[in-house]
Amino acid sequence: MAEYAIEMRGMVKIYPGGTVALKGVDFAVREGEIHGLLGENGAGKTTLMEILYGTRSPTEGEIFVRGRRVEIRSPRDAMALGIGMVHQHFTLIPVFTALENVVLGDEPVRSAGLLDVQAARARVEELMDQTGLHVPLDEPVENLSTGERQRIEILKMLYRNADILILDEPTAVLTPLETKELFAFLKRMKEEGKTIVFITHKLREVKAITDRVTVLRRGEVVGTVDTAEVSMEELARMMVGREVLFELEKKPREPEEPKLTVEDLWVRGEGGDYAVKGVSFEVRGGEIFGIAGVEGNGQTELVEAITGLRLPDRGRVLLAGEDVTGARPHHLYARGLGHIPEDRHRRGIILEFTVAENSILGLQRLPPFMNKWGVLQESVVRDWARKVVERFEIDTPGIDAPASALSGGNQQKLIVGREIMKDPKVVVAAQPTRGLDVAATEYIRRTLLRMRDEGRAVLLVSADLDEVLMLSDRVGVMYEGELMGVVRPEEVTLEEIGMMMGGVRLEDIKGGGAKAEAESTGG
Amino acid sequence: MRLDLRQYAKPLAESALSVLIGVAVGTLLVILAGYSPVVFFKALFGGAFRSRNAFLDTLSYMVPLTLTAISFAVAARASVFNIGAEGQMYVGALVANAIGVVALPNGVHQVVAILAAFLAGGLWGWIAGILKAKRQVNEVVSTIMLNWLAFYLVNYVATYHLYDPKAPYKTEYVRETARLPELIPRTSLTLDWVLTILIAFLMFFLVWKTSLGYEIRATGINPTAAEYGGVDPSKVISISMFLSGGAGGLAGAFLVLGRFGFITTTLTNILNWGFDGIAVSLVGRNHPIGILFSALFFALLYNGALEVQVATATGGKTGVPIELVLAVMGIIVIAVAVPGLWDMVQERLLLRRKRVEVREEAAGTVGGE
Ligand SMILES: Nc1ncnc2c1ncn2[C@@H]1O[C@H](COP(=O)(O)OP(=O)(O)OP(=O)(O)O)[C@@H](O)[C@H]1O
Ligand SMILES: [Mg+2]
Repeated sequence: MAEYAIEMRGMVKIYPGGTVALKGVDFAVREGEIHGLLGENGAGKTTLMEILYGTRSPTEGEIFVRGRRVEIRSPRDAMALGIGMVHQHFTLIPVFTALENVVLGDEPVRSAGLLDVQAARARVEELMDQTGLHVPLDEPVENLSTGERQRIEILKMLYRNADILILDEPTAVLTPLETKELFAFLKRMKEEGKTIVFITHKLREVKAITDRVTVLRRGEVVGTVDTAEVSMEELARMMVGREVLFELEKKPREPEEPKLTVEDLWVRGEGGDYAVKGVSFEVRGGEIFGIAGVEGNGQTELVEAITGLRLPDRGRVLLAGEDVTGARPHHLYARGLGHIPEDRHRRGIILEFTVAENSILGLQRLPPFMNKWGVLQESVVRDWARKVVERFEIDTPGIDAPASALSGGNQQKLIVGREIMKDPKVVVAAQPTRGLDVAATEYIRRTLLRMRDEGRAVLLVSADLDEVLMLSDRVGVMYEGELMGVVRPEEVTLEEIGMMMGGVRLEDIKGGGAKAEAESTGG
Repeated sequence: MRLDLRQYAKPLAESALSVLIGVAVGTLLVILAGYSPVVFFKALFGGAFRSRNAFLDTLSYMVPLTLTAISFAVAARASVFNIGAEGQMYVGALVANAIGVVALPNGVHQVVAILAAFLAGGLWGWIAGILKAKRQVNEVVSTIMLNWLAFYLVNYVATYHLYDPKAPYKTEYVRETARLPELIPRTSLTLDWVLTILIAFLMFFLVWKTSLGYEIRATGINPTAAEYGGVDPSKVISISMFLSGGAGGLAGAFLVLGRFGFITTTLTNILNWGFDGIAVSLVGRNHPIGILFSALFFALLYNGALEVQVATATGGKTGVPIELVLAVMGIIVIAVAVPGLWDMVQERLLLRRKRVEVREEAAGTVGGE
C-alpha cells in the first residue's frame, strides 16, 4: 500500500475575477491518519478540499490517490475513489427526511428510478449502529438540529463507502458535547483504518484529535508537522505569522442603566409549541450578558423575538426603556439595535448581492445611504463598504464581488463588521465568531469587549462555552426554554454550568445564595 | 451595483445559439411541409425590412411587448410569477379608452388617461400581490383568474357602455386630444415608443438604484435575509405587483391612445400581448435592457410572419399556412426562452442552499478550465 492516501502536488487555483486562492500547494495525507488542515480565513482550505472532492477544478496541479494519478472532475469521481466531504455549509435538502437525504443525491438512480426503501433503511440503520451516529430517519431535515444534520452528512458519505473523509469545519456548528461525540466517532473511524482530513480554527481541537497538521497561509503551505511536536502557540504563529494572545483583558466595569430588558417572554417555535417559556433578564449598558446552553433550547427563538423576527406570545421587550415588543427589524435598527444572526446564509447575507450591497443590509432606508427620494447614494454606499472591508480586514477581490466569492469566515466578518459599524446601542450577537480564525476571533471578541467598555449593552449567545465565560459579565444558562439561573462566570465551576445546561436549576445546586447575589449586583 | 458589460456576454451568446437551434428545427418543419426554408426564413427575419412602413410598424410592436415584459420582470425580481399582464393590460386599455372619449384639453388629456390606466392596471396587479402577501394565495392562480375577470369586465363595459353607436362591434374612438402624437406623420410609430424606452430605463433605475429596488431584489433572492434586513416582504410583494400591474396597464393605454384609438368589444385587437410579454421577458432575462432587444426580436418575427405568407406564394401555389409560420415562430421562441426559463425554474424549485452550491460550482468550473 502506498504511504499516502492522498497526495496533491503543485495545486494552483485562480478564481474567475483573479483571486489566487492556492499558489502551488503540496499536501499529503497518510493512510489511516487524522490530518488537520489549519489556516486563517481565506487561506484556501475549503478551496483545496473542494478540488479534491471535485466540486472545483484546479488551475494547475496533480492529484494522486494511493499513489495513482487521478483526475477528479466531479463529486461522483471523488466518491468512486472513496473520497467523501462534509461541507462547511450543509447541502441537505430541508424538506426531505433524514433517510431520503442519506440515500438520495449523487447516487446514480437504480433500476427504473425506483429505490428499494426497505433495503436502504436497513443499510442506514446498520451504519448508524456501527458508527454510533444516530438520527431520527423519518424526520424532515428542517426539523433537526445542526448536530443531527451533520451526522446525516457524514452518514451520507459512509453510505457511499467513503474511506477518506474530509470534514470542513465540522465543529464550528457543534456544542461541546456534540464535539466530544464527533471526536469519539473520528477515533473509531481511524481505528477502522479510515483516513480523515479535518479542517478547524480551534487549535485545541487540532491538538486533541489530529496526528499531523498542515498549515496554510494565503494559499501557501507554511509547513506540515507532527501534532505531538508543536504547541498551540507555535501553531498559531505558523498560521497568522505573529503572536496571538489567547487571554483577553477584561477590565472591571460598573454597569449602567438597563438598555435591553426582557420580561416574562413566551415565544413559540417552528412546531407551534413554546420554545421560550417565561424568560426574563436585562442587559445593562457596559455589560455583556451571555446566554449559554446546548443549542436548540430556545436560544434561537429568544434572539428572534428580541430582534423583531418572531412575534412573542406574551411578555415584553424594552430597548433603552422603550417598549418594542413585536416591533419590526427596521424599527429596531433605527433605535440602535445591531444583530449578528446565527445562521449567516439564512439571515445575515445575500450571497448573490455584492459585498457593497451586503454592507448596507438593514441600512438601505436610512440616511445617508438613501436620499429623500428613495435613491441609494452609490458613492456613500461604496465608501461605507470600503470602510467595513478595511476595518475588519475582509479578504475580498473587491466591494463589487458577490458575497459568494468570499470564504466562509470572511462572509462572517462582513456581517459582524456591518453590525458593529452601525454604532449600535445594543448588540445581539449570536455565535459571532463561528467559523472565524484565531486572529479574527480575537478581533471580534476584543471588539465586543470594547463595545461593552463604551457603555453599550451586549447580549451574547454562543454555543462556545469558553467564549461565553470569557467575555460575559453575567451568564444565563438556558434549558428547554427557561433560564436555569444567572451567574457570574468567576463564581461558578464548569461542573455547575454543565449541570445547569443539563436542566438543574441554580437554586438546587447552590441553595439560592449565588443566584440572589448575581441578581442583586446585576439585575 | 456597477453596470458590468461582461455579465451580458453569456446570456447574449446563449440567446444567439438558441435562435440558431430554433431555426434549425424550424427548417426541418418547413422542408417537411414542402417549402423552401431559404425563402421562408428570409421573409421571416427580413420581412420587417421590406419597406419603411413595415419597419416603423415593427418598432411600434415593441411598445406592448416591452411593457408587458417589464410587467413580468418587475414581479419576477421579487420572485413573484405574474401571469397577469394580460388582464392588467385590458383594464388599462379600458380606462384609457373611457377617459379618452370625454372632453379634455390636448396635452392634459393624454397625461390623465395614461396615469389613470397605470393606476387601474396597478390596482389589478396589487390585488394579486396583497392576496399573496396576506393570504398566501398563489399568484399564478390569482392572476389567471384576474385575467378572466378583466376580460369579461372590459367585454361588458365595451358592449353596453362604451360602444360606438355607428359601429357597435367596437368602442367609441378616443378623441383627437387624447391620441398620442405620431413621431413620423401617417405611421403607427407614435410618442409611446419613446415613452416605452424611457420606462425601460426607469425600471433599470428603480430596480438597481433605489432602496425599493434593493428590497425587491433582496426579497426575490433570499426572503429570510431580506426580513432580517428590515424589509417587510409582504409590503415589497404588493408594491412590486402594483408596479408590475401598472406597466401592464400602460401597455393597454398605449395600444388605445397610440396605435388603435379603440378596443373591439371582444378585445381582439389587444389580445395576447400580455402573454407574449412573458416570453419577451424570459428571453431578455428579466432585465430591462435585455427586454428591449428581445421585444425588437419578437416584433421582427411578428412582422415577418405576414411577409412569409406572401413570399412563399409563388406561381399559383398558395403560401405557407399561417399555422406553420406560427409553429416555427413558436419553436424559435421556445428555444430562445428556455435558458431564461430554465434559470427561473431552477431558482424557484431548487432550495436555496442547493442553488448556492450549484452556482458556486459553476463559478469555479467556468473560470478554472
Ligand atoms: N467562488 C469564489 N469566487 C472567487 N473567489 C473565491 C471563491 N471562493 C473562495 N474564493 C476566494 O479564495 C480564497 C480562499 O477561500 P477558501 O474558501 O478556500 O478559504 P478558507 O481557508 O476555507 O477560509 P474560511 O476559514 O474562511 O472558510 C479567498 O480569498 C476567497 O475570497
Ligand atoms: Mg472554508
